[in-house]
Amino acid sequence: MKLLSNSRIWAIAVIMFSGLVYVAGCTRDNDMLVPIKLTQPFAPNRGNAILLPGNMTAGNATEWKLDKAHSSVLWSGAYIGAAGLLTGRFNQFGMHNVVDAEMINYVTTGQPLKDSSWSFYESDPSKTHINGYVQINTSNTGEPGRDGGCNISSLGTTVIVTGTQNLTVTNLAKIRSTKVELDPASNGYIVTLELTWKGLLAQPLTKTLIGKLNYVPKSTPTGATYDVFGLQLTFQFNKADFGITSTNIGDKISIECNMNFNNK
Amino acid sequence: MLESFFSYIEWIELETFFSGYLLVYAIIHLVASKPPLTSFAKTRLLPKLPLAYALAGTLYLGLQLKDAYPDYTIGHMAASVQLPFLKIWALLSILFWIPLFNKKPVFSLLHSSVFFFLLLKSLYLNLFTSAADNDMVRNSMKIYSVSIILNLVALLLVTLISLLPAFSKKTST
Repeated sequence: MKLLSNSRIWAIAVIMFSGLVYVAGCTRDNDMLVPIKLTQPFAPNRGNAILLPGNMTAGNATEWKLDKAHSSVLWSGAYIGAAGLLTGRFNQFGMHNVVDAEMINYVTTGQPLKDSSWSFYESDPSKTHINGYVQINTSNTGEPGRDGGCNISSLGTTVIVTGTQNLTVTNLAKIRSTKVELDPASNGYIVTLELTWKGLLAQPLTKTLIGKLNYVPKSTPTGATYDVFGLQLTFQFNKADFGITSTNIGDKISIECNMNFNNK
Repeated sequence: MLESFFSYIEWIELETFFSGYLLVYAIIHLVASKPPLTSFAKTRLLPKLPLAYALAGTLYLGLQLKDAYPDYTIGHMAASVQLPFLKIWALLSILFWIPLFNKKPVFSLLHSSVFFFLLLKSLYLNLFTSAADNDMVRNSMKIYSVSIILNLVALLLVTLISLLPAFSKKTST
């Protein structure tokens, strides 16, 4: 108490402190707001796998074969263009570059053409290429009445003939990659591809599209003596471009190709 | 840290009325110890400091009554109080009107130091911690400046009023 009453030190301290705080308050700038980096730049993690079909010789572990039984080509689009998805799959498809001369009917229950029109280079996508096709009339929505009925006329094709693989121009939609690049945001690839389909047009139309390709790395299934790997390609197209005017489904159709390969 | 906007408002009111007193006290104390103003400061200003402080407290009470208008029920007034202990402490400053308490100016100094240190704490938090905000510092300094002016004016008023009887006596003779 006496100290407070007599000493001048505290008084000088109070005055000096007040002055200092005024100076600090008047000259100090707010801290710079440094944005917090929430996500690190993507660091790709790709190997050097080179996967080729070769001659698809059975028993040759260096030649990869399409495992059609465990692969699929799925499609989806908004029901009536506004509701939930209407989905389906193509029962018959392959990975062959179907040239004009090959666009015929094949009397077989197996693959009509060799699924060898592809190559995959994990770290050098400029060498990667993909070809594929579907038979339009094998679209399967799980409703036989629709699949073998209105779908056939809506898509401008003909009904399935048992034991025949129909690769004629009216029943064939095919894709061909023209460029494959590394995706900077993932371990996948950006694919420029051409979709060729006649649809309801007078002549087949080729549209250039962009798709995304993912590689499911090679591995050995538990207890197996062979290896497997997968390629997943997704892309979208506008059905109206091909003259399909059905209002049962929206114009934007998404395609997902899940191709599994083995070296049995 | 203050938890709500309303407590911050109450804190501003308290700091406005009481935080500047310490500096005013310090200045008068220094002046009183240095000639040539020593005798005037010692005899006229220093003893009036607690009264000036009591005047600030009375003005604060007036503001609280104005805020509570027109419902002066205890329930209403208690419900609107965010910082009850600080408010009660602030209102205790009115006791310095009583000669028993204003006899020793250092009591008023101790009383007001609570508000000064709260201001210091706020300034420290806003200047040096991760929650640093210069706008808050400037606001606190404005409040502090207003408080210094208010306490200086209060001291001036109390001193003038105390001088009035002597002045009127002089003029009448």
